[in-house]
Amino acid sequence: MATIRLPLKTRRWVGLTVTVFAVTVIAAITSTLSDRLGSPSLFTGWTLFSCLILLMLLGVRRRLPFWPLGSVSTWTQVHLHLGLFTAAVYLLHAPAIIGGGKLESTLSIVFLLVTVSGFYGWFISRTFPAQLTAVPGEPRFDRMNWHRSQLASTASELANGLPDTSGDQVLKSFYHESLAAFFSQAPSLGWVLAPGRTRCDRLLGDLKSMERYLPADRRETVEQLAALIRRRHDLDRQFSMQWKLRSWVVIHSCLSLALLLAAVVHVAIALRFSH
Amino acid sequence: MERAQAIRVQRPSRWDQPLDASMSDADVAWLRTRGPFNTMNASSFPSATPLEGILRYDCRLHRAEPGEVIVREGDYGSSAYLVVSGSVRVLVDSLMPEQLGRQPPVPIGWLQAARRYLRRSRHAETRSPDQVRVQTSASGPPVIRKVDDRQAVFLQDFDAILLSHETVCLGPGELFGEVAAMYRAPRSATVIAETEAMLVEIRWQGLRILRRDRRFSETLDDHYRRHWLPIHLREVPLLRFLPEENLRRVVESTELRSFGRMAWNIDYQKQRTLPAAKQIETEPVVAHEGHLPTELLILRSGFGRVSVQHGASHRTTAYLGKGHFFGLDEILFNAFRAPAAPARPYQSSLRAVGFLDALAIPVESFAEDVLPWIRKEELPSSVQALFPQAIERRSNRRRRRSAKRDAHADRTVQPSPVWPTGEAESTNESTALLEFIVQQRLNNGRDAMVIDLHRCTRCDDCVTACSGVHDGNPRFVRQGPIHDRLQFVQACMHCTDPVCMIGCPTGAIARDPDTGTVLIHDPICIGCGLCAAACPYDTIRMAEVVDGKGRPYVDESATAPIRKATKCDQCASLPSGSACVAACPHEALVRIDLSEPEPLKQWLQKRS
Repeated sequence: MATIRLPLKTRRWVGLTVTVFAVTVIAAITSTLSDRLGSPSLFTGWTLFSCLILLMLLGVRRRLPFWPLGSVSTWTQVHLHLGLFTAAVYLLHAPAIIGGGKLESTLSIVFLLVTVSGFYGWFISRTFPAQLTAVPGEPRFDRMNWHRSQLASTASELANGLPDTSGDQVLKSFYHESLAAFFSQAPSLGWVLAPGRTRCDRLLGDLKSMERYLPADRRETVEQLAALIRRRHDLDRQFSMQWKLRSWVVIHSCLSLALLLAAVVHVAIALRFSH
Repeated sequence: MERAQAIRVQRPSRWDQPLDASMSDADVAWLRTRGPFNTMNASSFPSATPLEGILRYDCRLHRAEPGEVIVREGDYGSSAYLVVSGSVRVLVDSLMPEQLGRQPPVPIGWLQAARRYLRRSRHAETRSPDQVRVQTSASGPPVIRKVDDRQAVFLQDFDAILLSHETVCLGPGELFGEVAAMYRAPRSATVIAETEAMLVEIRWQGLRILRRDRRFSETLDDHYRRHWLPIHLREVPLLRFLPEENLRRVVESTELRSFGRMAWNIDYQKQRTLPAAKQIETEPVVAHEGHLPTELLILRSGFGRVSVQHGASHRTTAYLGKGHFFGLDEILFNAFRAPAAPARPYQSSLRAVGFLDALAIPVESFAEDVLPWIRKEELPSSVQALFPQAIERRSNRRRRRSAKRDAHADRTVQPSPVWPTGEAESTNESTALLEFIVQQRLNNGRDAMVIDLHRCTRCDDCVTACSGVHDGNPRFVRQGPIHDRLQFVQACMHCTDPVCMIGCPTGAIARDPDTGTVLIHDPICIGCGLCAAACPYDTIRMAEVVDGKGRPYVDESATAPIRKATKCDQCASLPSGSACVAACPHEALVRIDLSEPEPLKQWLQKRS
């Protein structure tokens, strides 16, 4: 089957144009229905519900790698623009951003969470890859622990291999007090969510300030330890970004399932009491 | 440097690793009594590589039993075979892949694909019994049997095959497989032992030195010129309209040139780490920039780096592969230039990357016998600019007159790119990418997996999809050399020069003639690991196989585990095609032909 491959920028503009056009059409129909005392919310509701089901199909496609159903990237593009379209239709459908009543307000909140997580995912999947490439090293997510332990054992060998002179003792105790925990522990959830350079810079600063207590020939060891700290920091940055890229998919998928369930209940109740 | 600190080691020598360590003086003496070795002049060989040394270290005796497959059509090999006693049959027409124990990928339907996916094994590398070894039947696939100390493949019902196929008999003193060994070409025919036969296997290094014997060399050259060179020249698109008489004259004048080391994969790991300037320095020069072109070079096999002098070093501007030309622009310019204009020298240098075999057509022969038969529309733009009006007039006339003939010619000749060398790139960015590709020998890849790291979210959906369609066993890992934003993933590239296929004792690793995909045929894979060791890119893995319940298959005699080579098969039988490409949600992954710079360039342009 021949596939048409548009340049990425062209594809983006085509997608946005089609989405805006579709939203305009739906808005026009809603307005017409409203003017004629029809049921615009029934129309937009069914549109929304259909869109939700279509949006869920991306997950199904990802789980069927063996069938020629078109590339997942094409499905992702459709998913993104359909998501935008759905958000616009939601605004036409709901009387307020967060609807009244327990079920409706829950439904609205879940819908908004799914939308926000979707936009967040869109944003990070466009910005993080280049940032990941800029960080040295290309560790695989499943090998992060291994890389971490490799760095920790290298640092440990370096520190514990020092002779027992008084100058070297200073470096050894600094390693055991400050660096050992840094190398052996995984970054905290807080750091993963909002990574920064403070800890790395502080350790590098402390190490630098320690040079004056050390013998002159120990400078190379200090530089090696500093390089290990920087590598560990880069590894943690990689971990942070890759963790976010993976976690948002899980969160978005779970919220989407919850949304679909709530939407089914909402549809059933709406149909039951609409007449 | 202090002499006292020097470390004494034995200098590596030419024959440190003999082809067969068990070759004895008696074997060599016996071979010297047999043709063509008995007529060879020992004094024509250098003292460092005497004839006896070649026979001892570059040859091995190979006893074949009736029905044994000695070489298979389409395989790659680095050895030629000389019949010493007995006879062998060369099959003129092709055998079915199944007759050689190969199972061509059978496209499966949607239902079967779904069933296979849903019934994935819980254990890694599961195989059914028929995938582990060849099932014997009366006239079906071959059997693998031990002959002396090696595994050999035997055809079933050999007599019936002899009756139903056209064959040529080769007897004592006759050589076969030398073209494949010398020019890194696929074997052109399957050869089977008709009677019990004694063969001498000669590796290509030895074969090259044996050519120092004038008679032997003339015999080889004559055979190549008579049978193969016309075919190879006919394959060149530029020469497709040459009349027979002209082709004959071109064949007579064409020289064969070889540069570099054919076993390039052995020192690849070391070479790839050298800085670009150093690597360029070590590459044999085929043609020098600034020299006047005296012959047109057509690459037969191997790779070439086109570079121009830039400051104190050379800058890579293109790379060449099989079928590409070097020096054509300059030769054509010189042929069409105004009489007062100075001749144009080579605008760049050509170096052999690893190895390079070229056909060299002298400019006189090219001007006289080839040039009048090249369509002017096919000339490079730089040459066309020399006579635009003449071309326009001729083109219009020809277009009207021969539309019908053209249609026929286009059907019969592959319209492969006539000017594949590409324009000289001058930006630092493009030069760096070209140099990286050449340095890592990625230009060998016909179907390389490239990831755009500025789009890839590292989700590993590609690996998951690969694993999903291969019974839970991913056939690649998302790692590999990185240049700028591109990662060249360690997945089988289905190479132009498939060094993994050289030496496979049963022909289990073979190229699919229709798709070009290199596939492993499990039933005849004996798990020797030669392919995995030969692959310079580490894309073949040896796996111990188990049955559906996780019980390991073991060799019935030695109780050693049965191993099979595994690698990417491009999802050959699946209706979806390559699952990895289809599974990428951000269009970051592509399978691309790196043997030409153009596809990658176009792909990158689409993403900018």
